[in-house]
Parts: sequence; C-alpha cells; structure tokens
Amino acid sequence: MIGPIELDERSRSTPLGRASPLAKLAVAVVWLGGLALTVDPRPPALLAALALASGLLLGRIPVGTLVGRLAPLGLAALVVGISNALVSPANADPAQFEVGRLGSLRLTLPAAQAGLSLGLRVVAIASLGTVFALTTDATRLTDALVQVARLPERFAYGALAAYQAVPGLSRDLTTLQQARRIRGLRQSWHPEVLLALLVLAVRHADRQAVAMDARAFGLGPRTRYRVERWRRQDTVLILISVLVLAAALATSRL
Amino acid sequence: MFQDPGSQLVMERVEDEVAFGLENRAWPLERMRARVPEALREIGLRGSERRRSTSLSGGEQQRLALAGVLAPAPPILVLDEPTANLDPDEAGHFLERLHELRSAGMTIVLIEHRAELAWPLADELLVLRSDGRQLDAGPVGAVVERQGEALLGAGVWLPSAIESRLTGQQPPATTGTPGLVPLPASSPLLSARSLSFAYDGRPAVADVDLEVAGGERICLVGRNGSGKSTLGRLLVGLLRPAAGKVRLAGREPFRLAPVALARLCGYGFQDPEQQFFRGTVAEEVRAGLEPGEAERVEPLMAALGLPLERFGERSPYRLSGGEQRRVSLAAILLRRPSLLVLDEPTFGQDRRSYEALLALLRDQVETGTAIVAATHDPRLAADLAERIVVLRGGALAADEPTERFLRDGAARLAAGWSSADVRRLPASDRP
Repeated sequence: MIGPIELDERSRSTPLGRASPLAKLAVAVVWLGGLALTVDPRPPALLAALALASGLLLGRIPVGTLVGRLAPLGLAALVVGISNALVSPANADPAQFEVGRLGSLRLTLPAAQAGLSLGLRVVAIASLGTVFALTTDATRLTDALVQVARLPERFAYGALAAYQAVPGLSRDLTTLQQARRIRGLRQSWHPEVLLALLVLAVRHADRQAVAMDARAFGLGPRTRYRVERWRRQDTVLILISVLVLAAALATSRL
Repeated sequence: MFQDPGSQLVMERVEDEVAFGLENRAWPLERMRARVPEALREIGLRGSERRRSTSLSGGEQQRLALAGVLAPAPPILVLDEPTANLDPDEAGHFLERLHELRSAGMTIVLIEHRAELAWPLADELLVLRSDGRQLDAGPVGAVVERQGEALLGAGVWLPSAIESRLTGQQPPATTGTPGLVPLPASSPLLSARSLSFAYDGRPAVADVDLEVAGGERICLVGRNGSGKSTLGRLLVGLLRPAAGKVRLAGREPFRLAPVALARLCGYGFQDPEQQFFRGTVAEEVRAGLEPGEAERVEPLMAALGLPLERFGERSPYRLSGGEQRRVSLAAILLRRPSLLVLDEPTFGQDRRSYEALLALLRDQVETGTAIVAATHDPRLAADLAERIVVLRGGALAADEPTERFLRDGAARLAAGWSSADVRRLPASDRP
C-alpha cells in the first residue's frame, strides 16, 4: 500500500520520535555522505546495523513493521549486489582469484567484494531511510523545515499537501486503469493512462491551492500552532552520529 | 468551502486543519489553543483532534472543512455545494449546523442543488442566468412568485412542493416510469452469491447475494463507505471477489478480457474525468470501437445533445459536468452492454442534464439493459428504480421494491435516508 506512514502516540514519544526531524535528517545525510568515501563493505554493514538497532531500541519500531517496510528494499539491494558482482570487469581478468563459476560465468574475488559493498550500501541507505520515515511525523518535519530550517512556507506546506495527495493519486490510477478495462481498451499501463493521471494530479493541485488561498494562506506573516524547536539533545545526536561515522569508516581497509 | 472534501483539506491531522486558517491570520498561540477545540465542538468533531483527516468519513471530512473555515469566525461564509458528497441524513445534519450558525447571526451564501433541504433555510434567493448575470434576488416566496416560470424553464432544481404548485401537476421528470421488460425469473442476467471483498484486510463487501434481471432498474443505496462502489465494481468484473461468485450472462466478469467485458457490461465512475484518455470528444468516444460500432457514434451523440459537429473537436476536460457525464456514458453505451452500473450518476447535475440523463437511461432499459445505480439522490431513486438494495457496513441490509422501501423505516435508516424526502407518484399515474 502506497501512502503516508501512520505514527501512533507511543512511537511519537520515544527518544527517536521526540528528536527534531531535522536532526535525524542531518544524521542521515552525514552518514550517506560518509559512505560515499569508502568501497569497503564493513562501514555500510555497521551503519545499517546501527540504524536498525536504534530504530528498534530508541524508536521502538515493532520488528514486524520494520521487516515489512524493508523487505522490498532488501530485495533491491540483493539485485544490485548480484548484478554488480556478475558484470564487474574484474571477472574477465584471468589473474584474479576465482570464487566460483556457473557455465561461462566466472565470479572473481574483487567482483564479489564490489557487489557485496554496493549491495550493503543500498541496505544502509534503505535502513536509514526506513528508520527515519518510521519515526518521523510528516507534519513535524514540515514544521521543522519552516521554523528551524527557514524553508519558504509555500514550498514546505505545498510539499506536505503533495505528500498527503499520494494515496489519492494511487486511487486515481486504479480508477483510470479500471475505466480502461471496462471500456474494452487493452494495456492498463498505456501512456494515455499516465497522461490522464497527470491531468488529474494537476487539477487536484489547482483546487488545493485555491482552497489554501481561500483560507488566507500567503496573506502575510503567520503564527504557529505547533512550535518546533532545536534542542540540545538534537545537537548531541548529531555529534554522536559523526563520531559513530568516523569509527565505522576507521574499520575500512580499502 | 468547496464540494469535494478531499481537495480542500490541507493538513495531516484534524486539529492542524482547523488551526491552519488561524495561523494564516497570525492569531497568537494562546487564542488558537482556545479556539481550535471550540470550533471542533461547534461542528461535533470534539475528541478527533489527533485523528488523520483522511481517516474520517465523507460527512466528517466535510464538517471538518466547515470547522476550518469557521474557526477564524468570518462574518460571511460562502459554501459551494457542501453536501454534494453526503448521504441524505449526513446532508441534513450538515445543513442543521448551518441553521444554527445562521441563528447565531452569521451571513451564509450557500450554492446548492439540493433545493428540498436548502431552501427552507434561506432568507433570500439569488438566481443566476446561464450567462452569469443575475436573474432575480429577494425573499424566497417573492422570487418564486415573480420568476416561477423562468426557474422551471431554466432547469433550476426547485423543492417539489413549489414545483408541483407551479406546474399544477407532478414535475415532468417523474411523469412516468418505463414499463418492465419481463424476463423469465429462472434466468437472471446477473447473479452474485456470497460475494465478499476486502481492501488490505479491511472488509468492504461481506457475503452479498444479489440477482438482477434484464431490463431491471435498481438503486443501490447506503451511507458513505457502506460498500456501494465496491459492490458495483465487483458486479462488472473490475475487482476480483475475495470470496463468492458473480455470474453475468453465464460468465465470470473478472476473468473476461477487456474487449469482451466492455460488450457485456458498462460502469460509469462518479467522476467522469477519471475515465477520459483522449484529447477530443470525438476521439474519446471512438476509442477502441469496432467498425460496426463506430457507425453508432453520430446518432448517439446527437441524441445525447452532443452533436459531433459542435462537440467533436472539444476537449472532454473542458465540458460542463453534465456534458462530461454524457460523454462518458456515450463511450460505454456505444458497445451496447446488457448491464450498466453507475456510481452517483446524478452528482452535481442541474435539472436539465438530470432529465437528459434520465431519458437516456430509460431508453436503455427499453432495449433490455439492466441498470444498477449507486446513489444518494432520492429523486433518482423515485424516478428510476423499481427496486432498492440497501448496503450497511458492506452487508445487504434490505432488498425490496421501491414502494416498500419508502415505507420501511428500518431500511431507510440503514441507508442514511431517514430524513430524505422521497416522493413517488401515485400508482395511478404510472403505467
């Protein structure tokens, strides 16, 4: 099911749930940037494990939820890893140590390492993103982007409205595909369907913008119903995450 | 405030939605904290503060939208068909709130097709002509006195009491229901047995049995979320039943290829825009037709008041709501399906396009097509249906002739129609 993630009261009151969404976002960005510095499989494996552990312990994400959300991304990581290992140019180098062979396909050690490293990097990205999404409220993220990061309001609330429109779009797509079927038109993924979906999305956005303006959005300075502040814990969270990243990178030998 | 609650709610949660208009007007935090619960109490949504607005029912969403526009205590409220998506009881409840606001001194401008419910609330009536200019304005009685004939002629919906007084008879739309095309009871066109369906484990239709004979006219009624649309889609093979079976002319519709399915049954979605794929009306109705069927395009479009010379090159998205509805129906009817399932076919239509639609449906019935219409519109039920099927929480709550339904308090309550003013012609006026 495509759609916004529902956070309950309990997960909102956990340490990770209380942390500023911006602090979590910063951690994710710093870690992902750090991962680009190495091709060794150890740092991404460590960081992925840490992200998942903190999601489970500090965010109290139920194991089932985490596994359910990660499963498709895990599959993607597997595909990326295997395909990269198989097409690596190192496989053609007769001097490299051969790990295995399947018919004419030859897998060498450096190729396997590169595949493992890329696959683990996808796992790390997926774990970070999933834990972030499962502990972060969309409204709070928007409030933090506007109040702490000083992003333009029209952009931030527009993005929140768009995020909320996702389930509606997925319903529109289903309806369009059903409309095709009942009219005897084949190909439920015909380009016409996507074009029609685009038309519906633009119209929806139009109506929503009018509705926002009708409620005095953009009239002038706004006040806030929900106050979003940067706290000392948020700074500490970022400092710790930088140290953790440095430690993880130190394990790499390549 | 607008018709469709889905496109006017901005924030994720109920209380943020109400606060949005206050933030935009730079209310201080303390006043907002006091006003938000108050506004929610006024429209009966207290206790839902933290709920996600998408988890509310259609009626609740519309009340939430009202709370949002009411919170800053505006001196004037403009509402554009706010009850269009609601079942009759929810619509009545919504209009009661408006009545309270009016008693409290608020000025309300209400744009509304539901004359029966809305007119009694009005102090003044403003009638616009089709070119946007004012036809008349003033107290309801005086406007009806001066402009009665013009209102009837312009296709404005009128409360039925006023309408019968003006015409001296029953309204033209209800002067007759078409005769039945009797079919042997042993061979229904469609039969559904213990039909069930669930979305992500949430049951939407549960254990429904239904039979439809050729040429039958059925209205499917029930509150928002009672499973009407889902059942309709199951009947025409757009959804695969989780349990149970549908047989349509001896076949299982969801197993049919699109080409065969479209010649057996048609489905009209609530929003005609959700079924347009081409840039012009002519291309739209011709899409996927076989050579023999293409010959039917011109006469049918002319009969629907959409002659191709005038409408053929226009974009379907730029037509009026009534015209869009007829284009989408034309695209279905060209394949001459024997079962037509329609989702809220009269949604947002003025009286003229309503009458055109009704005439079209009656013609279909005479050729033996069965019609199943999911609707909140009491007028359609009275004008079209010989049988009413009531769904409640996905299950069949009643399945009975229209006459009996109208006297069946329990069935009407289950449908959300307990307050609906459904008038049926005296039996002597009908064939």
